Amino acid sequence: MPPLGSIGASGIILRMSAPEPTRLPLESFVDEMKRYLHLLPEDAALLKELRPLMEKYLPEMAERFYAQIPHHPGASRVFTGGEAQVQRLKSTLQVWGRGLFNGVYDEDYAEDRYRIGFRHVRITLDQKYVISAMGVVRAFLMEKLFDEFPAREQRLAYSQALGKILDLDLNLMCDSYFRATMAHLHTLNQELEQASAQLAEANAIKDEFLAQVSHDLRTPLNSILSFTKMVLDGFCRDPEEEKEVLRDVFSSGQLLLRLVNDLLDISAIEAGKLALDLEEIEPRTVLDSTLPLVAIQAASKNIRLIDETLDQTLPTVKSDEIRFRQVLLNLLSNAVKFTAQGYVLVRALHNKHERHLRIEIEDTGIGVPIEKRNVVFEKFVRHDPKALRGVTGSGLGLAIAKRLVEMMQGKIGLEAGPGGKGSVVWFTLPLATPMSTPEAPDR
Amino acid sequence: MNRDTQPLRGNRILIVEDNALVAKFFRMALERAGGCECIISEDVPEILSHVAAGEVDLVLLDVSLTNSEWKGQAINGIELCRLLKERSTRRLPVLLATAHAMSGDRERFLESSGADGYLEKPVYDSSVLVEKVRSLINPS
Repeated sequence: MPPLGSIGASGIILRMSAPEPTRLPLESFVDEMKRYLHLLPEDAALLKELRPLMEKYLPEMAERFYAQIPHHPGASRVFTGGEAQVQRLKSTLQVWGRGLFNGVYDEDYAEDRYRIGFRHVRITLDQKYVISAMGVVRAFLMEKLFDEFPAREQRLAYSQALGKILDLDLNLMCDSYFRATMAHLHTLNQELEQASAQLAEANAIKDEFLAQVSHDLRTPLNSILSFTKMVLDGFCRDPEEEKEVLRDVFSSGQLLLRLVNDLLDISAIEAGKLALDLEEIEPRTVLDSTLPLVAIQAASKNIRLIDETLDQTLPTVKSDEIRFRQVLLNLLSNAVKFTAQGYVLVRALHNKHERHLRIEIEDTGIGVPIEKRNVVFEKFVRHDPKALRGVTGSGLGLAIAKRLVEMMQGKIGLEAGPGGKGSVVWFTLPLATPMSTPEAPDR
Repeated sequence: MNRDTQPLRGNRILIVEDNALVAKFFRMALERAGGCECIISEDVPEILSHVAAGEVDLVLLDVSLTNSEWKGQAINGIELCRLLKERSTRRLPVLLATAHAMSGDRERFLESSGADGYLEKPVYDSSVLVEKVRSLINPS
């Protein structure tokens, strides 16, 4: 489950991401609060009368306020801007205090108070500090009212009106916290829903993968079992036929092994458990040890295997030798597999500008239609099955090659061969020489 | 199994199966254990011409046919079965073979295809296959 913000002793610390509502529907809220607090037009008039009297106390109010709040250990976390920040906040507080004596307490007033609340939320100042700060302000203003109107009966109406407007402000401030919390929860909810949808999708893909895998594992296994039974039942005409059947058993076993190996590879890659041993590699070594493996396969199909890199001096690359060979073998045997006649050619291009070696494998095979050139690198996507009679594979080869190449900081791709026939599959590997090393002149 | 009994002697069976090895197994099992003749094909026009000519006694048909097309569209065993029943000039039993080993599939496939019988792959025992085919060609 994703983290739901930190919940401490002081309640939920709202995340900075909590969106601020643009325009709030405050009219009914303010009306209701005014009714509840008995904030009458008379009170508004009294507060307006107080304005010129109270103005002179506002700087002191700000001083009193900021002498206390920022030094609280819990609040000090958010007051990190030093003296400049406190000075700014003091003048903001005076503006707020002046607002109390506006005389007009409509939705614009409420909106203004909400904005202050949201600012507090954004700097993750706990609600309890806001409430206690309001207490400080209230005590201070009441004290000053006492100075202005020593006579109780004269003071009473004013102090009641002031109490009501401070209550309204406190309510608005608290409500802004509530709204921000709701907005935050809403965001979290959306994130959860999204995560849940992603999980469901991943699960569906996994199910599909599993169904595909079990089908693909069962197919050669069934051939092994049924042909073995054939021999055991004595259905073969002669030892020659028996051998032929056993060859099918053997090739099915090989296919099964290849499939299991590929599955182990892809799951290790996807689980991030495949460690690469990156070192400086001579591509020549890899080419020389890999090409003979495909040469047999190619010769049996009368396909020419051409190595165009033979006369080249190839730069060293940074890669994992085993995986480099695996990718190359994979792409080469694919090329041979899907080519009925013609050739399979290997070429290497040293790109000094982009600092990589690009290896291309060109074939005169069935090719891949343009719309499939990206998807063939996905798991279990095979070439056009119509052209695939008798071709068997795990359906994971290119998917593994792509992941391995990308893990080695390279790229892989597939294009049409010359004249739109066959295909060219290519991959790049970064050069081993670091940028700073001066390059030897090319020969 | 007694090889002299040859329960399918004189019959001709058409095997439609996209996996070459499975098709090969079906053919060997039916020929050797049943004594019949087999044709293997995935080519729909060819299949239809065999059927229309009344040359086959039973079609052993795979449900998933990755290599078969009809009128430029991919066709599966269920659709092909309906087509075969339509084109056949005589009684033509169709045995549907599939690897879908899920419950409910059997009835669903039988009903939607109009096939006469259902064979769940894998089949290892040739006598089971032969008996199934025989029972559909000569229902007693």
